[in-house]
Amino acid sequence: MRSTLRTLLGLMAVLVLALGAAACGGDDDDEKGGDTGGTPAAQSSGGIAKVNLTSFPDYMDPALAYTLEGWNSLWTVYTPLVSYKHEEGAAGAELIPGLAEALPEISNGGKTYTLKLRDGLKYSDGKPVKASDFEHTIKRVLNLESGGSAFYLGIEGAEEYVKKGRAKGDISGIETDDATGEITINLKEPDGSFQYVLGMDFAGIVPSDTPFENMTKNPPPGVGPFMIENMKQNRSFQLRKNPNFPQIEGIPEAKLDGVDVTIVKNQQRQTQDVIQNKVDWILDPPPPDQLRTVKSQYADRFEEYVTNSTYYFFMNERVKPFDDENVRKAVNFAIDKRALARLFGGLLEPGCNFLPPGMQGYEKIEDCPYGDPNAAPNVEEARRLIKEAGVDGTKVSVYGNDEDPSKPVAEYLADALNDIGFKAEPKIVEASVYFTTIGNQKTKAQIGFANWFQDFPHPRNFMFLVDGDSIQNTNNQNFGNVDDPEVNKLLDEANANANLDEAAPQYAEADRLLVEKAHIAPYGHRKLANFVSENVDFENCTLTHPVYELDLTQLCLTSGAS
Amino acid sequence: MAATDPVTTKLPDVGGVLEEVSAAETPAGTSPWRLATRRLRRNKVALAFGLLFVLLVLSALAAPIWANNVADTGPNKTHLTDTIKLDGKDVNVVEFDGVPIGPQGFKADGKYFLGADGSGRDVMVRLLYGARNSLFIGITASIITVLLAVTLGLLAGYYRKWVDAVISRGLDVLWAFPVLLLGIALGVSLSLGGLNLGFTTVQGNSLWIPTLIIGFVSIVYLARPIRGQVLSLREKEFIEAARAQGASDGRIMFRELLPNMMSTILVFVPILVANAILLEAALSFLGAGVRPPNPSWGTMIADGIKLLVTSPHLTIVPGGMLVLTVLSLNVFGDGVRDALDPRATIKLDQ
Repeated sequence: MRSTLRTLLGLMAVLVLALGAAACGGDDDDEKGGDTGGTPAAQSSGGIAKVNLTSFPDYMDPALAYTLEGWNSLWTVYTPLVSYKHEEGAAGAELIPGLAEALPEISNGGKTYTLKLRDGLKYSDGKPVKASDFEHTIKRVLNLESGGSAFYLGIEGAEEYVKKGRAKGDISGIETDDATGEITINLKEPDGSFQYVLGMDFAGIVPSDTPFENMTKNPPPGVGPFMIENMKQNRSFQLRKNPNFPQIEGIPEAKLDGVDVTIVKNQQRQTQDVIQNKVDWILDPPPPDQLRTVKSQYADRFEEYVTNSTYYFFMNERVKPFDDENVRKAVNFAIDKRALARLFGGLLEPGCNFLPPGMQGYEKIEDCPYGDPNAAPNVEEARRLIKEAGVDGTKVSVYGNDEDPSKPVAEYLADALNDIGFKAEPKIVEASVYFTTIGNQKTKAQIGFANWFQDFPHPRNFMFLVDGDSIQNTNNQNFGNVDDPEVNKLLDEANANANLDEAAPQYAEADRLLVEKAHIAPYGHRKLANFVSENVDFENCTLTHPVYELDLTQLCLTSGAS
Repeated sequence: MAATDPVTTKLPDVGGVLEEVSAAETPAGTSPWRLATRRLRRNKVALAFGLLFVLLVLSALAAPIWANNVADTGPNKTHLTDTIKLDGKDVNVVEFDGVPIGPQGFKADGKYFLGADGSGRDVMVRLLYGARNSLFIGITASIITVLLAVTLGLLAGYYRKWVDAVISRGLDVLWAFPVLLLGIALGVSLSLGGLNLGFTTVQGNSLWIPTLIIGFVSIVYLARPIRGQVLSLREKEFIEAARAQGASDGRIMFRELLPNMMSTILVFVPILVANAILLEAALSFLGAGVRPPNPSWGTMIADGIKLLVTSPHLTIVPGGMLVLTVLSLNVFGDGVRDALDPRATIKLDQ
């Protein structure tokens, strides 16, 4: 009996293995046929990749998620009406039709956007997608007071919808026709960046019966290469290939059968697990402690890239001594960008532009007005300007938060300001309330740490940080209260233009003026890194998208690993 | 009094100087303080650790001498792009990938004796200035604790009734909060706006903020034993005699009761200082104690954690100093306790 059972079990195991191998082979064939980019011989499609995040996404609901952890996965699950090419660099920032047949038709002086839903779209649960789902999607963003709701308040009737507080109320500026699939959006004012707003993850279409509540525990179905399964909040979730994902040009099918995402707080353990091939990819770069080892010993599966982000010091122009342009110039002369890069463990690309290099409208400011970002600072000139302005010995509080790299950066700036004649001290605020603290006019924060990572690849998404029109008493993001008429005029014109190619030179000019007039002190752009296991086909399957970082739909495992 | 107590006890042999003897062996006619001093002098281990603590205090006081004459830098001065000459070669204080130089001893004339931190600051200089801050907070907070706890304990124990009820319940409330969490809550909330005491405002980045917090949260550890002792002493004949002579409450509390509790207070002081230093380090480690860029052993350990693998000296050195300081205070405190113990059986004549 025992030996018979053993034989039977053995036969079953062989059968299961054979079926598994056949399934892998089948996927491989499908992939070769369907993948527009072509699949190298060494790689195979299918298989499950293991991914580690340091913290769980803020939400696993497209209406609410506003962190890279969330967007990186949700981008592959929910597709908005317009989306981005799955490409690296500038090509990846190009808008393409998502669930809409074509990019929006813009009329009425830039205030009306008309789109038509593709035919035959189905959610991952098999239900059909309707045009009215779009209005429901936007209502959820507004009703749930999502961090992204401000982006959609420009739609006619959106503010009224929010004020009434009735979830099932109407947004007068959105008209949909389920029969024809037509969607018309009317804006209160022309907004050149609205196409990009439509492409944000917040607008990833969900069914009309999705409740007006945070759906993190039970994410709604979407239209994307993957779907979410086995959600264990704060611990793990799985992405699995969506069987109902249609052919959409520019949005390829997932190469993998799935991705298992697990939260591991300890970044050193994450790195170690990638080194030992227990984990295939980690979102956060290896910590500074292990970076040197990773760079030297595992260079064949590690790459750094510059993100569309800017790190800068704000200088409050409503508070002395930074109301004086010469004082702000002195700060720009005093900061040593090479030193700051070291505080980022080398993961900072020094620069003097406010706009990041990957952003349309970026024109590298040659001959930076305050010296080469990769050379020593001109401290003597800074001291001279401070003396001339008569502010030497002035007490200055340098604001920063208690997280890396903000804290050491604030400490460095205080030291640099002391070098040029100020009596500066860092003022470290708890990270969770830092930006609301310095964004409150009552705080009168003089100078400090600030940074911005793009929400969408449009220069307006950066320039609002220095636009006089965006100054507020509380929750102010224009921390320096920059209100330069020349810059404001350029931004007003550029923001209203839906043709980014035409508007780009104006953004570049605004960028140059901001730097020349020392309204801010930008010092660089954050680098991140991809570090993958040996199981991953590093050469062909690590596509770094300019908005969503590593494209999980394009990740694939080598034949041995899958 | 205590010295004539005929009880014979067996105490742990701390430092090998204790042995079982009868308290009756103690010389007659010697004051208890002199006896205690003589007992302490016999406890070589306690004295050695006491001396170590004194050395730590002296080295902390000498911080500016080292900073100005040897290291040639201040505790908060960053040197991110500086280089130093080592064996004729220029070496970066902080490498491009953010890894700082390790301990150099006297290879660079004492500069970066214990290496640099991630911001290129001299670890030795920060360690010495950190010692000043840690010791200042530890000692000052303990003085605050003693003053407040003794006053509250005396009042509660002497007056009893509603005074005792109010003070004891207040101490119960304080006792109910985990000390560290209370310290963090106070530290974080006071760090921005400072502390308005009416007659003066303490700035949020002042060392007085963690000092006052630690002094306040530690009251309960001393106030309760003091109250208990007062409750016992107030029933003794010498207090009744004082009352019969018409002594005021204040005089009885501070001239009769307080001197009789000095041994208890003295035993508690080293322990309070050690605990205050530990609590300061914990609060600073968590960002609620000494404010950056001021050095403290706690902030130094916190700063070094992220470079634990490549630069372990950043955490080991301040951690080691913390251990030495607390150990020296605890062992010395044990010695003081044994010396002041009325049932102590330290052999005095050898």
